[in-house]
Amino acid sequence: MSLDIFSQYLINCLMLGMIYAMVAVGFTLFFGVLDIIQFSHGDVLMVGGFTALVTYAGAQALGVANPWLQLALMVLIATALTAGLGVLVARYLVLPLKNAPPLNTLLITLMMGMVLREGVRLAYPNGSNPQPFPRLLPGGVWSVGGFEARIDSTILLLVGLALITGLHLLITRSKLGLAIRAVAQDGETARIMGINFNWIVLLTFGIGSGMAALGGVMNGLYYTEINFGVGLLLGVIGFAAAILGGLGNLYGAILGGFLFAALQTVGAVVLPMLSQHIPSSYKDVFAFAVVIALIAWRPTGLIAEKSTERA
Amino acid sequence: MKHRFTGYLATSLLALTVALPVQAKDTVKIAYVGPLSGGNSALGIGGRNATDLAVKLANENPTSKYSYELVVVDDECKPNIGVQVVTKIATDRSIIGSVSNYCSAVAMATLDIYKKFNLPMIVWGAVLPDITYAQKISEIHRVNGTMIQPNMVAAEFMVKQGYKTWAILHDTTDYGKGHNRYFSEYLQKNGGKILGTFGVTADQQDFTAELTKVKELNPDVVYFGGLTPIGIRIRAQMEKLGIKAQFQGTSGIKSDSYIESLGKELAEGTLSLTEGVALERLPRGAAFSEAYAKHGYDQPFEAYGPFAFAAANLIIDAIEKVGPNRRKVNEELGKTKDADTVIGKVSFDDHGQNIIPLVTKYVVQDGKWVVWEDSEYGAGKRKLKGL
Amino acid sequence: MRVPLTSRPVLLFVVAALVTWALAWALLGAETQLEVLALFCVTVAVAVVAAKMKLDAPVAAAASSHPRALGIACVVGVLALAVVFHEDHFPLLLLCSVLLYITACLGLNIQFGYVGIVNFAGAAFFGIGSYTAAMLAGHTGLPHVLVLLLGGAMASLISCVLLLPVLRTRGHYAALVTIAFATLFRSFLEVNDALGGPQGMRIPALNLFGWDLGADHEWGELFISFYDNYVLFALALAVLAFVLVRRLERSWMGVAMDAVRTDEISAKVYGISIARQKIVAFMFGNLLVGIAGATYGMMTGYVAPNNFTFADSLILVSMLLLGGLGNPWGIVPAAALILILPEKLQFIQEYRFLLYGVVIILILLFRSQGLLPRGIRRYFPNREAARG
Repeated sequence: MSLDIFSQYLINCLMLGMIYAMVAVGFTLFFGVLDIIQFSHGDVLMVGGFTALVTYAGAQALGVANPWLQLALMVLIATALTAGLGVLVARYLVLPLKNAPPLNTLLITLMMGMVLREGVRLAYPNGSNPQPFPRLLPGGVWSVGGFEARIDSTILLLVGLALITGLHLLITRSKLGLAIRAVAQDGETARIMGINFNWIVLLTFGIGSGMAALGGVMNGLYYTEINFGVGLLLGVIGFAAAILGGLGNLYGAILGGFLFAALQTVGAVVLPMLSQHIPSSYKDVFAFAVVIALIAWRPTGLIAEKSTERA
Repeated sequence: MKHRFTGYLATSLLALTVALPVQAKDTVKIAYVGPLSGGNSALGIGGRNATDLAVKLANENPTSKYSYELVVVDDECKPNIGVQVVTKIATDRSIIGSVSNYCSAVAMATLDIYKKFNLPMIVWGAVLPDITYAQKISEIHRVNGTMIQPNMVAAEFMVKQGYKTWAILHDTTDYGKGHNRYFSEYLQKNGGKILGTFGVTADQQDFTAELTKVKELNPDVVYFGGLTPIGIRIRAQMEKLGIKAQFQGTSGIKSDSYIESLGKELAEGTLSLTEGVALERLPRGAAFSEAYAKHGYDQPFEAYGPFAFAAANLIIDAIEKVGPNRRKVNEELGKTKDADTVIGKVSFDDHGQNIIPLVTKYVVQDGKWVVWEDSEYGAGKRKLKGL
Repeated sequence: MRVPLTSRPVLLFVVAALVTWALAWALLGAETQLEVLALFCVTVAVAVVAAKMKLDAPVAAAASSHPRALGIACVVGVLALAVVFHEDHFPLLLLCSVLLYITACLGLNIQFGYVGIVNFAGAAFFGIGSYTAAMLAGHTGLPHVLVLLLGGAMASLISCVLLLPVLRTRGHYAALVTIAFATLFRSFLEVNDALGGPQGMRIPALNLFGWDLGADHEWGELFISFYDNYVLFALALAVLAFVLVRRLERSWMGVAMDAVRTDEISAKVYGISIARQKIVAFMFGNLLVGIAGATYGMMTGYVAPNNFTFADSLILVSMLLLGGLGNPWGIVPAAALILILPEKLQFIQEYRFLLYGVVIILILLFRSQGLLPRGIRRYFPNREAARG
């Protein structure tokens, strides 16, 4: 395998891992504060992407032509609106079910995901088909000694990295982060210490959903296309990545995301090379089989939770 | 309590019948079966709209003997749901014919139900050869071709253009797998070489791993057996990875959405070999496009809409001729020979399969699907990639 | 000491049963938009009236103090539906599907509700049952009773692969194991051609000891749909599964399973083998799911990978949760609602899943514990009933 092909695989895999990680981070955040799974998270990402698309159309109509300005508008509006959507989901669907079995939260958010998905499909013009996403990043290629990468992919990778680092700093260094961690560790005690529990939960859902919106924009910019079903698979894989890494742990979510991307790439590329009888379509079978094996080996995720009493 | 409830239902039904305006014509129902939700919904909704158009046009026509009503059911592209909804329409004796099935697995699962209840149906989109040829069921007809003919022509045509090596991508549904099978078979007969075959799942979003492998193999042509949504993703990601090969698809990508979503430049030069005659070349085809636009459907009719339209028209014509009786309509449909429809002449063989004489080669030129022979590519003014 | 048969709760119970039956009848039979709309309004009205007059608690008390009466009422109700709809294939097909999904959910209920294993691969095990039935009934001459049992056994056997990870993990981590399996199973069916590939394969109709369930009956004027055969068989299967599951719940094993779910450490202290309870629950549950799947496959006559996606597993889980986790009675209305509602919404075509999602969300917001949440275990049901 020549270096340029190898670099290609590497960039693909990193990019895919980055998007998975951004979804997984949301799952892990929500689980942290409320011990619940927000199953419509993938669809929230899709809504973020479509919001950006509508913003772009609006910007075009208003005569804003500078691609960077357009991009800034898209990111701002998509993040804000999607964060708002996340807050609404938390306020009206998740918090009312706080005293029900945690699986019921899963069911209600699952249904919410379906409502979002079908809603976008039916409300967006010709929404059953994929929609073109504008190419706003410079498209050239840079190379160092045979190692090639596209400029837009590189920008997206760096931005993704910066976002996840920023989120990490927010959680570990800021006062807000401290409050989130306090709620995550023990909601009751946090309340006694004067932390407004509901506010922190809503804020966390806002932050996580905002991240998903950014993931949606990145996804759109990278693939130059977005469709109503994008959240379905991303949701399942993001959830798998969050758990594989260890729920409630940011590093775990990131690790899980990249690991999953690596498994899929290996399944699609390396396995068919090893044997003629394994076509590349077995890649999902392979990736999920390895996930089962890994979880059997590390039952509380690769980066284990401190307390294993969570269920 | 129970009695009161039944009574209520009965009175409300009575009220409904009384409230209905007295109609001069008898109402005849026909059904439509296709996917209206989930990943295949774009094509399903297109087919539904086209069928709806056929019914509306028949109702607008003052010479129609009956007024028609369309019963639409969503099979979600799932065989078990298909069995449910087809049982529902087949047991409703007021439904005389059905424009049925886009998904082959659903068609296969429901064949026996049409047979059991003598409901004449015309397949408008499912392409698996077995639907008509695995057994002989008189109720089953199909206006679209199977996937054998276009692939036979495609393999020969492409080799003749001078292409030598292929990479094949296909989705792992019956549609993609079937296309892969027949294209590979005919390609090898014609001396083309397949460097690699990649199955992808229908809901897959990222194809860069497979495509990077394709880039490494460096084929002349990338063949894709699958539908528009994945086709768009694959073509866009090919560009991203800098794959210079010619892109060749099947009937599944021949839709306006393909060009709209990719943009003119990316779609330029994409080939699609489809069964049937080119709509633009037929007088009734142009009329269909016009009527579709006039009725203001908010989604395009997609690749198989014209077939659904033709199927609905055949059923309506048969009902006009022999009256709303399933057996008679079925007999009438079986006799269909050289019927003039939107997709050209339709003749059913003894298995109910339309013997389509033609396969149409399309190429994207300046943001439009153009018939190969009419295009600048066909005339030699423009060149396909790598030639 | 039982509640006397002429008391107010019992009368209420009888009225409630009749109303429920009428609603079930209307739900199965409603076809047009107007009928469905009327039914919807009546259902809401009944629910509101019952809540306003505080009728639900005495009815529930009467029902739970006479579980046998409730069971008999259900069986009689289903049989009455089978008689009323004897000519109509479609409502009977829906009824059968509901019964078979109830059977499958009863299996999952042991896992989710009693021992506390989450299983998101229900449709995969359902599918293993169907596919085993397709292979055996299509290619061998085995008697079909055996085929159904082997369908269940196969589901149970294949689930052994997951035993190690399932035993080692808990909660959401176990969910991941089964989600991975569900996704993997569907992909595998689709890419592997030996089992029919993506287009699936046919299964012959069920034939038990010469009783061909796939044949209609006609005696002179009287026509009886072949789905009535399946209704009888599926009803028998569901009742058998129900009785088994209830017996299990009431047995010491059920107590042990509850202990494992609520607190593993205390359970261990009391000498309960956690692994054993989990293995029994997981394998027995999947056995039931597999048998239901095999019967369902033979009824619909066709198996294909698209029937057994992860989304279908979620449908099974939805039934359990909507019914109220751990209460087998809850499964009955939930399965009926989740299977029949989207079907009755066909007239709104592509908008139906949007509305369906909204309806389920609203139900959950009003009844966050599910329709019929599981009550506290009663060790001496009769005594409790007498007291209150």
